[in-house]
Amino acid sequence: MSTLSFPRPRQSEAGERLRAEVREFLDDFDWRGDPHAASVFGGFDPEFSEALGARGWIGMGFPQRYGGGGYGLIERYVVLEELLAARAPITAHSVADRQSGQLLLRFGSESQREEILPLIAAGKSYFCIGMSEPDSGSDLASVRTRATKVDGGWLVNGAKIWTTNAHRSHYMILFCRTSPASQERHAGLSQFLVDMKTPGIVCQPIVNIAGARDFNEVHLQDAFLPDEALIGVEGEGWKQVTSELAFERSGPERFLSHLGVLEEFVCVLKRQPSPEGARALGRLVAHLATLRRMSRSVATMIADGQDAALHAALVKDLGTCFEQEIPEILRLALQTEPDPNASDSYRAALAHVVLNAPSSTIRGGTKEVLRGIVAKGLGLR
Amino acid sequence: MDDDTREMLHETAASIFADGPPDLWEVLQSVGIDKALVPESKGGVGVSWAIACELLGIAGNHAAAVPMAEAMIGHWLLDFAGIEDAELPTIAFSPPLEPVRLSRSGDEWHVDGALVRVPWGGACTHVAFISEGPAAQLIVVARDASGVSITPGQNLAGEPRDDMTLEGVVPVAVVPAPFESNSLLAIAAVMRSALMSGAIERALALTVDYANMRVQFGRPIGKFQAVQQNIAVLATQAAAARAATEAGGEAIDGWLAGENGSLTHNVAAVSAKIRTGEAAGQVSAIAHQVFGAIGFTEEHELHRFTKRLWSWRDEYGNEAFWADVLGEHILGNESEKTLWRTLAPTGSSLEVGATR
Repeated sequence: MSTLSFPRPRQSEAGERLRAEVREFLDDFDWRGDPHAASVFGGFDPEFSEALGARGWIGMGFPQRYGGGGYGLIERYVVLEELLAARAPITAHSVADRQSGQLLLRFGSESQREEILPLIAAGKSYFCIGMSEPDSGSDLASVRTRATKVDGGWLVNGAKIWTTNAHRSHYMILFCRTSPASQERHAGLSQFLVDMKTPGIVCQPIVNIAGARDFNEVHLQDAFLPDEALIGVEGEGWKQVTSELAFERSGPERFLSHLGVLEEFVCVLKRQPSPEGARALGRLVAHLATLRRMSRSVATMIADGQDAALHAALVKDLGTCFEQEIPEILRLALQTEPDPNASDSYRAALAHVVLNAPSSTIRGGTKEVLRGIVAKGLGLR
Repeated sequence: MDDDTREMLHETAASIFADGPPDLWEVLQSVGIDKALVPESKGGVGVSWAIACELLGIAGNHAAAVPMAEAMIGHWLLDFAGIEDAELPTIAFSPPLEPVRLSRSGDEWHVDGALVRVPWGGACTHVAFISEGPAAQLIVVARDASGVSITPGQNLAGEPRDDMTLEGVVPVAVVPAPFESNSLLAIAAVMRSALMSGAIERALALTVDYANMRVQFGRPIGKFQAVQQNIAVLATQAAAARAATEAGGEAIDGWLAGENGSLTHNVAAVSAKIRTGEAAGQVSAIAHQVFGAIGFTEEHELHRFTKRLWSWRDEYGNEAFWADVLGEHILGNESEKTLWRTLAPTGSSLEVGATR
């Protein structure tokens, strides 16, 4: 195969009705998209998350018996892109909504699903992802955090790093070794549902270059997890985690998280017209429109039960490179200095994007790893 | 049009282009590809513009030296003007600063002016174009009419791009145009994007095959990560070009089905050439880099695709031209309060083609 074909994205009547409802909700809700406070994905606001949950817009794909709305993934996609485009503060629940809930739905035990999924759907349960470690970044299979079988459960020792929102999440989906590394690198790995209040777990903050405290180093020392904490099958963690990655990589957050600065750019150009600015805007919008179509195409594939891992990797690479390019193009089109403390919201947003840009092609799979996946899909290697 | 008919058209086109007979254009005409957009009741095939774009993708994939895009649009315009039995119509645009002048004496029209770089201008039987200004007229001129003179020219790939001078030419038809000239330009730009998308996909396929075959340092160069990363970028650009083109083709159908205003106000239609043109440059550069010196030879086939890409990206408006159009449209749009809501309007009819 040398050409990847992306199916035509499917649009649903229900999704388009939801789009109008979400816009109405966002127009009425009392919050502001504040570029000073916003992190890459918007703010962390438990009140907003609960209000959204009350509308049925978290865990939308969960079956109704777990508190979901029984919506399809296409409808969920519409709601998510509207929230991202409005810079809504969805950080608190976004990991749970995007991937942890899906993982539990697919691989979790019935009691895990009954206990956790309704809380996620209500916007009251936040998750973090325990994948990367100090010595394991892109090479996820090399993780050394170890769960050792003891009577009635597991004792976990090790450290996770770059764990976004670990300090304010209720649960972590922990990816670790349950048997020693062997020739078969992908064997002996498992996933656990970890209550962050478990004794032996300590979060150390790491401040990023934008001055935000989003991610953490998480130490696990003799942390005891009951048998019921195991997700899915012991030793099948690799297979489970790779299916989770399609959800992590495919969404609109991979190209819409810097839309805010483009909106501010448009406002400035409407006040002070500039031919260079209009041209830069036209080009960026053409890229944005194309990415959106490709991303919706991936959502359509996932909704239809097709394997979209390769397509998701390609779209994430394209989307994050686009995001990184935004500040480079804007700064030449409209001469001004980025300043996170500026009262002018464009300059503040520009500063925010400049400072956060490096992370987009790293988090959720580096562009080098993603391009390796695409190359393999093309039949190279 | 049902899926079976569409599938059959694809297969027919693919097999004709793959055979590549010496009389390729005549063979394509014999199966009616040139009249694909004309309704069945008028002797055409009645395909949507989205499907016409797919067929052009196949032509681009074979670097076919045929006036397929222009003939497709030309036949559609001639049908609109009520002209039957034209052998080979093409389309044209006047230079922006010296538009063609249309005058009337008695009940006879005359046209004067220049049409520049007309695709297959010398080989065509008719040329169709739309006059500038508010009362846009669709004008059809016969190539062999008195007062038509032609200065031959070519694009980088050797495809005819001929200048036509019109001096007191009596046109075959002058009718109120179905839309303004800039909308025709936008249609032509989407059709070029479709050809480019096909050529880009061939450049990708050739590059992958070569990287798997060419051995250096004891292994195929496709095993080197530096090469893999570049080819992955090529594939990503190819996928983006295809997506932008498909969206553009569907946008023409949606617009003709009843959207108001100029096609140049349609984000998907205008984005197609911007995105595909940008992909064309990156794809050509990476493909040539992977092929090394052999790809730089006249003998090797790679240039049949890359020269077309380098020409096509500048025809019917390049990325900068359309980026200006799109940027100005968004900045002038007062009806939506954000960029996002311009991009994703509510209450819009479902995309044409989405339910196919």
